[in-house]
Amino acid sequence: MGEGPITEEKRMFMTGNETVAWAALAAGAEIMYGYPITPQNEIMHYWTRLAPKHGRLFLQTEDELSAGFTTVGGVLGGRRAFTATAGPGNVLMQEPVSMAEMMRLPIVIVVMQRGGPSTATVIYSQQEVTLTTLGGNGEGFRIVYSPSTNQELFDYTIKAFNTAWRYRFPTFVLADGYQAKLREPLTIYDPAARGIKMVPTEAYTGRPGTPGIDRPPGQYRNTYNTEEELYEVILGLAAEYEKMAAEVAEYQSFGTEDATVVVVAHGVVARAAKDAVEKLRKEGLKVGYFRPVTLRPLPLAELRAVAGSAQKLLIAESAYGQLARLVKEAIYGTKTEIVPLYKPGLGVTSEEIYARAREIVA
Amino acid sequence: MSRIVEAYIGEYASGKSECAINRALELARLRREEVLSRVRKALEYRQALEVRGGKLEVGNLEGIRLANSPRRFHTSNLLSPTSKNRRFRVASGVTLVDLDVVEPFWTLRPLKKEIEAKGITVIAWDREDAEGLGEAGTVLKPAARWALARQGDVILDVGYGVGGARVLEIIEGYPENADLRVFAVINASRPMTATVQDIVDHVHNLGRVDGLVNNTHLGEETDSTVVQEGAKLVTAAARVLNIPVVATAAVDRVAALIGPRDCEGNPVRPLRRFMPRGFW
Repeated sequence: MGEGPITEEKRMFMTGNETVAWAALAAGAEIMYGYPITPQNEIMHYWTRLAPKHGRLFLQTEDELSAGFTTVGGVLGGRRAFTATAGPGNVLMQEPVSMAEMMRLPIVIVVMQRGGPSTATVIYSQQEVTLTTLGGNGEGFRIVYSPSTNQELFDYTIKAFNTAWRYRFPTFVLADGYQAKLREPLTIYDPAARGIKMVPTEAYTGRPGTPGIDRPPGQYRNTYNTEEELYEVILGLAAEYEKMAAEVAEYQSFGTEDATVVVVAHGVVARAAKDAVEKLRKEGLKVGYFRPVTLRPLPLAELRAVAGSAQKLLIAESAYGQLARLVKEAIYGTKTEIVPLYKPGLGVTSEEIYARAREIVA
Repeated sequence: MSRIVEAYIGEYASGKSECAINRALELARLRREEVLSRVRKALEYRQALEVRGGKLEVGNLEGIRLANSPRRFHTSNLLSPTSKNRRFRVASGVTLVDLDVVEPFWTLRPLKKEIEAKGITVIAWDREDAEGLGEAGTVLKPAARWALARQGDVILDVGYGVGGARVLEIIEGYPENADLRVFAVINASRPMTATVQDIVDHVHNLGRVDGLVNNTHLGEETDSTVVQEGAKLVTAAARVLNIPVVATAAVDRVAALIGPRDCEGNPVRPLRRFMPRGFW
């Protein structure tokens, strides 16, 4: 029991978008900045219904560029701030996200992927993987969680705030339009009641004392005068990112020890992959399952180990090889064959994964 | 049975579509039974005429809509609306309308043909209709606008929560239609409608509501306790609102456990799940 918006742990029936709003509330998010775009609209709708009851704030901006930059501003002011977007909105947000990468600002962005390129469909895809993991004009110093159930949307939205504020890198929760609308039961809870301590926030600006005398000056810069200065900064960021990566990277797998074929999928497609692999293993086939929960950073060591032992990786995704591109880079040097199951903008069913895996298993 | 015209409204993801589809199917079944009853009477009349050497006239079958020649039917062929011989299918006279101007192109789309095969007229956009409209396709199908003018029973599945409920105001014949009843579908397992006060506040936001449907569930995890707890909350809210609970809806297996009435005495409507095959 707690005094927060969720007073008791309870099973509830919710949509994915609604789940995100409740999770942000439970995580103590103080303000959401946003601009409407399907299929994330109901995150804003529910947040704006819930926020006034719990003393939280919302600012609707004129576009996603502003939503991203106001989130940056909120974080600079020490607020646990977040935004949510999709598709073309995610494209616009890459500029403020780049700024947050450079300035180590813990903004949280929830993305409900829609079809692309451009406006495409308002419905579903996994085509924002490249953009979300490596977008912006930099090196992709950000963290990207890819949940696959409403329970995970709740858990990882809460976790995203803590990861962001602990490591000071912008953090994404990358879901999709199907998850946004998906209705299923989940347990909602007050993080404190489960022993989850929210990392305290602090203002970047307006701190007490004289800079340089009472405290180090706060130089939060996204502009540098010389190549050499920038070079040093980027190497420093890279070193800190790589140091953090192993702590943050998450994955799920089963059946990979003896597998000749391993199905690799993320997000909502991983649900289909899991069902397909369970069925194949019941039939005695040596097929494994590997799901990166973090797409950035990837669980490199584990993925390379799987690729080193399996003959083939069947990569299933609702995009034209965006997850595959990340996986190929991660397993570079191994001799594993990549077998694609790409359905850009379309759902991937367990039957399709089952059939393809069955075709290629030795 | 007099003409039934019902609109199902409620919170986003409250289960409106499931309730609306099942209600349309229930009405189609009841209407078909009515027709069958009349057909049987007509056949008995024909046999009696034939025994007496009389001549059958089509007028004897007045009120019975058959797809084709009235002389070639047999009652056994009329038991199923999906009879392989199309000429023996009986139109149910029930129309189901997908009224969602916010997300107009996907909710019922995958189910349309399946529902139509059960003898129900479905007014909803097809994929071909959506071609080229893109995101700007938030349009009301003309047939939906005039749905209340149709003969027979009409079930309106009003999508997209509180905002969606306002679409009723642009339907021709609303609110003066004497047959129309507007029912709010409530799932007390959803956090926005989890307490009596929340339900009362929510219903006040919906505008006109003539009755409540308790549709409390937890998806695949639903058991009779979940439904009955919902029945208590929804019934208490209905008392505050001074409107009836017209039904408690529950999936077949749970409805069978509860029986014909829930713990509050509300009639139980068994639900067959369709929406898992819808988009959302």
